[in-house]
Amino acid sequence: MHPLTGAGVFAADERIGGDLARVDWAATPLGEPADWPQSLRTAVSILLSSKFSMWMAWGPELTFFCNDAYRRDTLGQKYPWALGRPAREVWTEIWDDIGPRIDAVLTTGQATWDEALLLFLERSGYTEESYHTFSYSPLRDDAGDVVGMLCVVIEETQRVIGERRMATLRDLGSDPSVVRTQQEMLDFTSEQLDRNPHDLPFTLTYLFEEDGAARLASSTGVPAGHPAAAELLPAGSARPWPTAAAAREESVLMPLDAVLTAELPTRVWRGPPTQALVVPLPQKGGAPYGFMVAGLNRYRSLDQDYRAFVALVAGHVATGVASARNYQAQQRRAEELAELDRAKTTFFSNVSHEFRTPLTLIMGPVRELREHLADGDPRVREELEVIHRNGLRLGKLVNSLLDFSRIEAGRMQARYEPVDLAAVTGELASVFRSAVDRAGLDFQVECAPLPQPVHIDRGMWEKVVLNLLSNALKFTFDGSIRVTTREVDGEAVVTVEDTGIGVAAEEMPRLFERFHRIENARSRSNEGSGIGLALVKELVGLHGGAITADSTEGRGTRFTIRLPFGSAHLPAEAVLAEAVADALPIGADPFVQEALRWLPGEQPGTPAEVRDGTAPTADDLAAAPRLGARVLVADDNADMREYLARLLRGAGYEVRTVRDGRAALEAVRTDSPDLVVSDVMMPGLDGLALVGALRTDSRTASVPVLLLSARAGQEASIEGLRAGADDYLVKPFAAAELLARVRANIELARLRGHHARWRTALVDSLQEGFFVCDEDGAVVEINTAFTDILGYGPEGLPYPAVHPWWPDAASDPEAHRQVAEAFTRLLGRSRGGYTIPVVHRDGHRLWISAAFNQVQDPDTGRTVIVGTFRDVTSEHYAIQRESALAALGTCLSQATSLNEALVGALAELRRLWRARTVGAALFGTGDTPVLTATDPSLTWAELPAGDRARLEDLLHRPELTPVSDANGAGILLEHPEGPLGLWIDLGERRPFGGEDQLLLALLAGRLSQGLARAHQIDQQRETAIALQRAILGPARLPEGFAVRYEPATRPLEVGGDWYDTVPLPDGRIGIVVGDCVGRGLEAASVMGQLRSACRALLLQDASPARTLMALDQFAAGVPGASCTTVFCGVLNAETGELTYSSAGHPPGILVQADGATRLLEDGRSLPLAVRPGRERPESTCTIPARSTLLLYTDGLVERRRRPLSTGIHRAGEALQAGRNTAVDQLATEVMAHLAPADGYDDDVALLLYRHPAPLEMSFPADSAQLAPVRKALRGWLDQCDLPPGTVQNILVAAGEACANAIEHGHRDTPGRSVHFRAEAFVDDLHLRIADTGRWKTPRPELDTHRGRGMRLMRALMQQVTVTPGPSGTTVDMHARIV
Amino acid sequence: MSTPLTLTHGRGADGTPLLTAVGEIDMSNTRELADALDRTSGPLVLDLTGVEYLDSAGLSVLFPHAERLELIASPILMPVLTISGLADLATVRD
Repeated sequence: MHPLTGAGVFAADERIGGDLARVDWAATPLGEPADWPQSLRTAVSILLSSKFSMWMAWGPELTFFCNDAYRRDTLGQKYPWALGRPAREVWTEIWDDIGPRIDAVLTTGQATWDEALLLFLERSGYTEESYHTFSYSPLRDDAGDVVGMLCVVIEETQRVIGERRMATLRDLGSDPSVVRTQQEMLDFTSEQLDRNPHDLPFTLTYLFEEDGAARLASSTGVPAGHPAAAELLPAGSARPWPTAAAAREESVLMPLDAVLTAELPTRVWRGPPTQALVVPLPQKGGAPYGFMVAGLNRYRSLDQDYRAFVALVAGHVATGVASARNYQAQQRRAEELAELDRAKTTFFSNVSHEFRTPLTLIMGPVRELREHLADGDPRVREELEVIHRNGLRLGKLVNSLLDFSRIEAGRMQARYEPVDLAAVTGELASVFRSAVDRAGLDFQVECAPLPQPVHIDRGMWEKVVLNLLSNALKFTFDGSIRVTTREVDGEAVVTVEDTGIGVAAEEMPRLFERFHRIENARSRSNEGSGIGLALVKELVGLHGGAITADSTEGRGTRFTIRLPFGSAHLPAEAVLAEAVADALPIGADPFVQEALRWLPGEQPGTPAEVRDGTAPTADDLAAAPRLGARVLVADDNADMREYLARLLRGAGYEVRTVRDGRAALEAVRTDSPDLVVSDVMMPGLDGLALVGALRTDSRTASVPVLLLSARAGQEASIEGLRAGADDYLVKPFAAAELLARVRANIELARLRGHHARWRTALVDSLQEGFFVCDEDGAVVEINTAFTDILGYGPEGLPYPAVHPWWPDAASDPEAHRQVAEAFTRLLGRSRGGYTIPVVHRDGHRLWISAAFNQVQDPDTGRTVIVGTFRDVTSEHYAIQRESALAALGTCLSQATSLNEALVGALAELRRLWRARTVGAALFGTGDTPVLTATDPSLTWAELPAGDRARLEDLLHRPELTPVSDANGAGILLEHPEGPLGLWIDLGERRPFGGEDQLLLALLAGRLSQGLARAHQIDQQRETAIALQRAILGPARLPEGFAVRYEPATRPLEVGGDWYDTVPLPDGRIGIVVGDCVGRGLEAASVMGQLRSACRALLLQDASPARTLMALDQFAAGVPGASCTTVFCGVLNAETGELTYSSAGHPPGILVQADGATRLLEDGRSLPLAVRPGRERPESTCTIPARSTLLLYTDGLVERRRRPLSTGIHRAGEALQAGRNTAVDQLATEVMAHLAPADGYDDDVALLLYRHPAPLEMSFPADSAQLAPVRKALRGWLDQCDLPPGTVQNILVAAGEACANAIEHGHRDTPGRSVHFRAEAFVDDLHLRIADTGRWKTPRPELDTHRGRGMRLMRALMQQVTVTPGPSGTTVDMHARIV
Repeated sequence: MSTPLTLTHGRGADGTPLLTAVGEIDMSNTRELADALDRTSGPLVLDLTGVEYLDSAGLSVLFPHAERLELIASPILMPVLTISGLADLATVRD
């Protein structure tokens, strides 16, 4: 059975087809499937075979059909009930929306396109909010009328709702301020939630109080005082909302009863919400902060996505609460710390002296041990060194603090003794020489003796000088340190000058402030408490002196101390009369030791990075960490570095150490550790900057960082956390605490980072693909949807341009170009969008629509490009489908023949798929298939065997079911003359996807219909043309005539004008030229009748006047024939006598041999049927020899705003100019000469006659024919009215040529004929004699009389040309007529 | 069927043999003319006044006898006789 006949129409899909077959079709307006028109069968077949969701409606009631995809995606419970029902009944709930669209398609035939239209469907047992992008296309019946429509639909509910929810989440995250109070945060949040009344008709945020009660903190969508918005819910309440479940971190779905829903605003929906979800506000590592009640959209089910959305919203609110409370706590702590700082000095001063005893008890034995064990175990020695050095440092610190407390308490017990300040200062300076030398600096000590002694407290002075030198060494990397003493203006002036980094001007005022440190200064060490210079100032002050500093950043710093001579400025009780002793500096050691620790090479075997070398020590203070957890330690203090490393290794961590932030950053970038433990203060890149740098680089942003600092200021703490540190530990710290924090941070690493987590969750929950590009266009961040859509995952990041999803430049240059263009726009513009083709990792083609924005990365200040995109492949193809169908429709409708339709359609398919060739084989009745291809030179026989096999193979496939392979795709469809196999050769390996297959099926269906229609038109037209030609005029004209015909209405080949020549029984020729009123088909049918009647009348009675009178009678009975104009004449071709009569027709034009022009204006009367029965005149004239007669219809000469006579005059001129042109050529010239610029706009008929008509004869090659030929020629020459001598010359020359022709004919092929033609022009006569033999070269000596004949011809004629050819010889001769 | 040609032998007023041709002379009937000429000898008056057409085939029959022929021809034939050169060999009069 033919695949498209009968019930087989449902065979394309088993499931739907089966159910369709069970429909009682007889009860529908469509009737039994067996009787369905081909167009309906085609449409149903395409529908069922498609994998895309589609439905269609057909016929007067728009009977509903759908395919399996539509059943699954959209129809829901309405299946199979809907099949065969009127579409209005199936979609009654949305008919108000879709009905007008369907009407528009049916009435205009134009397709519609709707994007994401909201429709409330009832397919799942409830009224459901759903969004659909769809197109309605017209379906046409066999006659081409629109009788139904096809809907290709993509359900976009998930996308639309997903985007709406994303917008809310994005808005929530858009809070510009980092920290704010809890209420401000909640207000902001409510404002955002209130903007999505679709998904959150109302929200209530309750926070737990200490007693477990919950207090309403904010709400949206509920009027105040509403029973749902209870202000306070005591602990354990169940109504209106349960508090206990939320406290247990459980979510509860609450049905809303009438009491609760009463007077709830419905907002954007038609009804109030019927359910609410109570979700906890989770606290990291604690009981929930409270809970949120989210009213639910009654038109959506609470699916996983919806739950996740509400949970994310609650999570955001919880994070907000956490950060607000945290901020409050920090603020409180900051205030407390300030208080603490004030208390600190007091505290330290109280306890510091307590330290001195244990310190002494430590340092004494340590010194002894160092001496005893000078040659001992290196490891023990090393540890002793550490103890010793830090003991000294601690001692120094304790001393400084004690000094402060003493100074503050006014208890500084100074003893001022007169000393040689230059000598004492120089001695102190020399202690530093070795350290300065090792630092590679020039050390200049210029201590010129002073004229008087200066009273100083040696201990204090020592601290002043050593602090200044220590400071100078710390900040000087090149150049020199200079110490001078001299007398200036009656004061002793001591300067300590360096060529170090200097101090910025804005820092100068605070230089001597206690605990003030210059941030980010490049230094040899960041150790230091910031009390050195403050102490110096205090101490100098105690001496009655002053210290000033001047400094140029980058050049160096100079401290200048001025001390008065004498002792008048000092408290008398503290002044000693003499110097006590020449004591050596006693407190220098800690300073020098400390300074040496800053310098390189002091600790042999301590490289910048130490990976191992210390055996782990048992440490049970912290539980065993995650196996193989790796920690990077960054500290500029080698002891601290080693200490931390030992501690962490002991706890089982793999530890790497680096000495500064820069090295840490590099180490993390090359091999990311599980945790970075970093000191805040380090030279170069400090801890905060390190955290900042790590956070701005997406590769390192998630590495947890634990900052260590000796500074416990509130600002430092907040600053550290704000910079993105995960934890902050203040020195000194207990080993157990450090290990606990390290462990906790590593454990939390994956769950950590509220910002990162929030952002990741947000970005990942986007249903649109998300990406971040750097300035060079490399994709550095993506989300899961990106991977879902394109197949490229985060493991391949970064993706530098050219990205791997670009279409291949070689195989698909056009797509590649589009992407390259879009990419240029992406980099060049601040915002924009584009739709481009891309290639999925698995090779399939996608279309994506992207929007992008350039933004400044707030952390780095660099420009990045953030973009989102969605997969618009189906939309793209839907549009492509519509335009392809429209293009094919246009192409088919313009085709004027079956072949033209097919050729045009193949070209359209080739263009659409940019195919190499498209070919179609028609398996008709003949033995070999007929090939039509876009390459017109291809034939079936020349087609490669593989291509032939592919086309033949299609015959075994069901119709309208595409097949494809690596080289292209094909489909079988119905052609009016048999099955047609169509193959698209894509030329190279290019995917032909599901979308392409659908499109091909649709196009093939349309093509099949179009071909059927073209075939009908073909047949009709062939009939019509045959009929038209039959009524137009004689196929063969008598000699001497030429005609032209130009119908005004294309594609009709006839109009109201006509011409006719009628051979009459007496040998004369009837000549008719007529013009019916009007044009087009109607006029043509009248014309046909008049022409036939006129012809018959002339044959019966060869009188033009009587013929026209009879025609008057006839025309009177033919509607539309009245007022026809006719010229009717009877010509004696031998004598040139013309009898004629004109029924209102424009006059004939006669141009004579001498150029005189005459109009045939006699014999005129009214047009036909105006006065039937009235006598018509008749006139006779003789057409002189070699004159030309022109008969025509008014279309030739009539022009707007120009008298007819002008046109007639111009026609006469054209005739005159062409007097020496053959009539057929002359006819063409006259038509061209008189044609208006844009062609004739009326029917034109033209008839030319030149008298006499050319003489044309054929006779056997026999000498007996010579005499009769001569006789005929003589008679014709007489008609030509030539001088007698000329006639004789022509007769002889023609006779010679004929004799030659006969001789040739006799010799080579006896019995063959000779062709003779003579044509007269105004002053020229042309003879042509053609035979079938070879011309004989004249050779008078051998054949005298033949040679003589040739000589005669040349002598008698003006021009003789002999043209020998393979099949005979032609002689052309011209005689001038004088 | 050959072209109609009548040949009549006779004597002129001066007793010279006279051959009178009436009709047309072409390739189809030159043999008759040649035979008639061959039958005579000596000077001959050939009267072509009644000949309307004479082509090169006819001329080639006349040329062998040119020196003894006296041709009487109408003006119609004059161009042919002149162009062919026969008028130079034979005596031609109107």
